[in-house]
Amino acid sequence: MMRYAYYPGCSAKSTCAELNHATHRVAASLELGLTELESATCTGARELRAIDPIGFYSLNLRILALAEQDQLPLLTVCNTCTLNLLDSNAAFQEDPSLARAVNKCLAAEGLCYKGTTRISHFLWVLLDEIGEDNLRRRVVNPLTDLSVAAFYGCHLTRPPIRYGFVDSRNNIAIEKLARVLGCKSIDYSGRMECCGFHTAAHNEAIAIKLTGKHIESAKVNGAKAMVTPCPLCHTVLDTLQREISKDVGKKLDMPIVHLPQLVGLAIGLSPEELRLDRHVVPTTPLKSYAYRPEKRR
Amino acid sequence: MTTLLEPDELRRRSDSDSLAARNSILQPGDAIYVQIRRFDSSTGMSRFQPFEVPYQKWMRVLDVLNYVANHAAPDLAYCWFCGSKMCGTCAVRMNEREVLACWEAVEPIMTIEPLHNLPIVRDLVVDRAPYERKVISFEPWLERSKPYEGFPEPLSHRDMKNASKALDCISCMACYSACPVVRLGELTNFAGPAPLVQLAQTVLDPRNDQAKIARSLERTGIFNCVSCYKCEEVCPAKIPIVTHVIEPLKAKAAQLVPAMAQHAITFRAIVVRRGRIDPLELVLRLQRFRALLNVHRAVALLRRGKINPLVTIARIRSRAAQAATRILQTGKLR
Repeated sequence: MMRYAYYPGCSAKSTCAELNHATHRVAASLELGLTELESATCTGARELRAIDPIGFYSLNLRILALAEQDQLPLLTVCNTCTLNLLDSNAAFQEDPSLARAVNKCLAAEGLCYKGTTRISHFLWVLLDEIGEDNLRRRVVNPLTDLSVAAFYGCHLTRPPIRYGFVDSRNNIAIEKLARVLGCKSIDYSGRMECCGFHTAAHNEAIAIKLTGKHIESAKVNGAKAMVTPCPLCHTVLDTLQREISKDVGKKLDMPIVHLPQLVGLAIGLSPEELRLDRHVVPTTPLKSYAYRPEKRR
Repeated sequence: MTTLLEPDELRRRSDSDSLAARNSILQPGDAIYVQIRRFDSSTGMSRFQPFEVPYQKWMRVLDVLNYVANHAAPDLAYCWFCGSKMCGTCAVRMNEREVLACWEAVEPIMTIEPLHNLPIVRDLVVDRAPYERKVISFEPWLERSKPYEGFPEPLSHRDMKNASKALDCISCMACYSACPVVRLGELTNFAGPAPLVQLAQTVLDPRNDQAKIARSLERTGIFNCVSCYKCEEVCPAKIPIVTHVIEPLKAKAAQLVPAMAQHAITFRAIVVRRGRIDPLELVLRLQRFRALLNVHRAVALLRRGKINPLVTIARIRSRAAQAATRILQTGKLR
């Protein structure tokens, strides 16, 4: 059994609670042991890292220290959290005076970060640590005929300085995964684009304008659902879809699924277990892909 | 902790980024199929014109443009000067990404277009005036608040860390073209990455006058940056635009013009008290009465368990909250 310290982040604990739930169910089915870091804080999103860098590094390195204390790699499910943690870890390695200052601050809790925690997003765990072959063996319900559009979001692909191991202009990790799950992935305009979440709390118009054409493109190219590895992208694409729809002047009705939910369907979990009913845009079109053991497709 | 590379590894890495390596799929004499967007401002008409160019060893996009101009389309308009990644005049979009024509290896099939977000003069030539007007409006110079004390000035590398990164800019406009928020036009007052890099050269210089910095920052709309890193992805000078330009500028704005940074400051205040973000509290505090216009959404979120007003009201002091309060309240911003 592979064990991880699990950091869900703020979104998966609130507006995307279904992601947290689905991650736990899928991890259990794939025999991943998750120890949730109960006392972990927010990583600071884009706001804290801009206006209070020292506070930002301290919060992130504290999360890494908590995982290190348990001697576990850290599993994340949010793009922005992943990048924040990776950036902080890099700053810790590069700037000894920052490392000393943060550890002095963490000492009040009896923590001391040594710099050994490995950070892994759920997408990478599926592809690189479980591996395509092992995952394929778990697929009891190949999602044949389901066309999905991958929406990667920014912070799992850019900046290139942090993600040298992927082609930031043509990440294909989700497409690879989709193939393992038996479904088709379509090409469209939004794969590598931004959802605008980080300005949405004070100016929704940016997010609405940025995403409309991409959801439309996914629909035109035949996607029955869009799949994203990031709860922040999900929030924009799902929660704001009514407004986005109004802005492009067309009915979009595009179900947006979290990555673990798509995996869950293919390994035989039910839509209810994956909380597919907790989305704002109904996921009814996905119901017909649910696992029915009596009549295997 | 900088890892030193073995000489072999160093050679392998630099080799893999050479024009020769990137050209390795082509053999001299192979045909390169290129279509160039031709635009005539007098008629406002735009069309793609196809060309076939024979591949030559170590060919760059600029070599293809020169070949086309010399052999097939003498009226093709494009800009270049130094041919060596210095002057910043030859940026174009090749296969939907911003590149310097003088530095980018050719691909077997290419679509070459002018940059986005700037008016097109003709073919691949764009008008840089909107960018220049923005930079001028920032008053991009140093104004000392106290008289010059003579050489050497008390400046450290650390003080100049971010400003000196911004000084690497060659003003090629690749980032300006790649920015999705600039592309939204009048919707926001966001200045865009290239003007902000110019601004950072003086604003992030500790000798500059704070009141003047505040005045410049007020005109940037900087909090409309979506942090998508598209600018960093295309920057040929490899300037970490988001982390070393935009974020330090946001920090300055939060300090000197807090009204601009209301969102970020509120966000921080919530993390200080709760340890995590409560989305309902964030939206209510930022949008206030405007939030009432979205009753429909609130009901939808409530029914699906995505927001919980009880949690928002209760403000439980979790262990995460205690840690965040302790860590953040020792910092400067309160």
